[in-house]
Amino acid sequence: MQATHPPISMPTVTLSTLLCGEEGTVELLPDLSLLSSLGIRMGKRVKMIAKCLANGPCILHVGDRAIVIDRAVAERIFIRK
Amino acid sequence: MATTHTHKQQTILMMGLPNVGKSAIFSRYTNMHVSVSNYPGTTVEITEGFMTLGASRVRIQDVPGIYRLDEGTDAAQQVAIDMLSTEPDAILFVLDAVNLESSLFLLMQVLDYKIPTVVALNRSDLSGRRGQHIDHRVFATRLHVPVVPTVAHENDTLDALKRALVKQLEAPDTDYILHVGDKERWTDIERMIRRAVKQPIDPFDPHDRTAFLIRPVSGLFMALIILGLTFGFVIGFGMALRQFILLPIFRGALFPWLIAVVERFVAHDVLRQALIGDYGFLIKGIEWPFALVLPYVISFYVMLSLLEDSGYLPRLAVLLDGYFKKIGLTGTSIIPLLLGYGCGIPAIMATRSLPSRTARIRVAVMVSFAVPCVSQTGAFIALLGEKSLFALFFVFGVSVLALVITGFVLDKLNKQPVPFTLMELPPMLMPKPKVFGKKVAMRIKYYVKDGAVPMIIAIFFTAFLYEFGVLNVLGRALSPLVSGWLRLPQEAATPLLLGIVRRELAVLPLFDMDLNMVQFITAALVALFYVPCIAMIATLAKEFNGRVAVGVFVFTTVAALFLGGLFARTATLLLLLFT
Repeated sequence: MQATHPPISMPTVTLSTLLCGEEGTVELLPDLSLLSSLGIRMGKRVKMIAKCLANGPCILHVGDRAIVIDRAVAERIFIRK
Repeated sequence: MATTHTHKQQTILMMGLPNVGKSAIFSRYTNMHVSVSNYPGTTVEITEGFMTLGASRVRIQDVPGIYRLDEGTDAAQQVAIDMLSTEPDAILFVLDAVNLESSLFLLMQVLDYKIPTVVALNRSDLSGRRGQHIDHRVFATRLHVPVVPTVAHENDTLDALKRALVKQLEAPDTDYILHVGDKERWTDIERMIRRAVKQPIDPFDPHDRTAFLIRPVSGLFMALIILGLTFGFVIGFGMALRQFILLPIFRGALFPWLIAVVERFVAHDVLRQALIGDYGFLIKGIEWPFALVLPYVISFYVMLSLLEDSGYLPRLAVLLDGYFKKIGLTGTSIIPLLLGYGCGIPAIMATRSLPSRTARIRVAVMVSFAVPCVSQTGAFIALLGEKSLFALFFVFGVSVLALVITGFVLDKLNKQPVPFTLMELPPMLMPKPKVFGKKVAMRIKYYVKDGAVPMIIAIFFTAFLYEFGVLNVLGRALSPLVSGWLRLPQEAATPLLLGIVRRELAVLPLFDMDLNMVQFITAALVALFYVPCIAMIATLAKEFNGRVAVGVFVFTTVAALFLGGLFARTATLLLLLFT
């Protein structure tokens, strides 16, 4: 049976490296207060929906919201798969 | 006893996240039409109106939506923060039922101001359709603030909200439960939501039917189809309306009757010519604004309103964000650019939702230079569409290319860091027919008031200037430029002069001129890039400063004439070589 929460020792990756359809839990994020208002906070589950072409933004599902995150910001958010 | 019958007029300030329906509630309460769309940043300024509350008439203010009070990300959002310090008598806070977390966070920050507040839990119909049931009493009890579930287009819910407002104004109660620090707020919000939301929807809905609109390949493919259909509808529907309904009425019945009446009752030659001659006010003053331009205004606003209300525009903005960043802008710049195809003035005002002044000026310059307004677009389609669809697509292709090049050059001239793109995508919605119809009708009304009437006045004066020979004299004076450089007939100076007043007047007089295809395209390109109308120049001065307005005036004039002449010579040379 798959565990709901992966063990803490699992390596973290940046949000931008998640493939479409992959999920993860936010472990570390930059000091941008708007992120928390958009639902991206420590411990939150996120799912990658799309990554736009030309190094465009990533689109995530956070709860029932579709959030657009700049690729440069996504590279500074660490998540645990 | 406190009462609403006070001498000082009371003021209610509306606050909430972007795109939660504040303006829709405001419209219902004040009977004022304000722009309502399904994307964040529709409201970019304070809108003020009056509503009846109990026995009183109170002032109500709608401000741009914002996520946090400690972080306004653009000029429009800063307006909302500043308005809190004006000490309103009450706050009508619009809580988003489909985005409770962020809404509650902002509400907690607002409650810190200790201003009497009533909360409207709006869009509860939408959350209900998504399988959620929200117990609003949890928020009311926990925060000690009145909460009323509302649906902006349902009168009974709005009446209940009014009653709660009357109560708060008569006996203000600001004994709110306050929170210290973000961490405490988020913890309490999560606790409240767990208790209030009975049937949380699947956070990762595998059946998200609109995801293909934002995935890179399918999204771009769909964008091409949607924009292609939009363009096709604007041309096809407008042309059909014009050819099969309006022109037969005007040319087949109205004009012959007007001509017969004038010939019978007006004996004076000059006056008769001014009424029904080459620039005859009675003929052109009706035909140009209503038979040539209006059909395309209708078809354009139908499509633009559909794109706005469905929630597609922010998806397009996200898809194009990576490309826009290469010219120093964010993808949301596409919204003012598209609005510019309607009218440049709201487009320039919509730049307020962009993250920096530099970005605002860049987009405003791009709109002024290479985005034809709906009246001018209608004139282009009417003029070129009949002669050659290739010519029409060529002119619009040049418009898009000029936008890209202008953006690129402006970025190179003044390199600035591009702000991060952080936003929420609104849900895709089916536009409500009544709201949609009202919006299109209001936009057509604005066209008649702000577009057609000035056009008719300009045609009136032109008719007399033409009959008195003034335009002929000016035409001769401009001959070296018009005939020498642009290779157009001398009378083409008239539309150039008229174009300063109204953009479409730089195109419409070309109808009656005997031009070849190269001359038609040359004149169309000059008209495209030429000076934006007087009203747009005034808006640029108001939104930025006189220097920007004068700069745009000079830049567009010089660039239009230079590019027009360049095209005329290049096309003539190519024709000589290949024919």
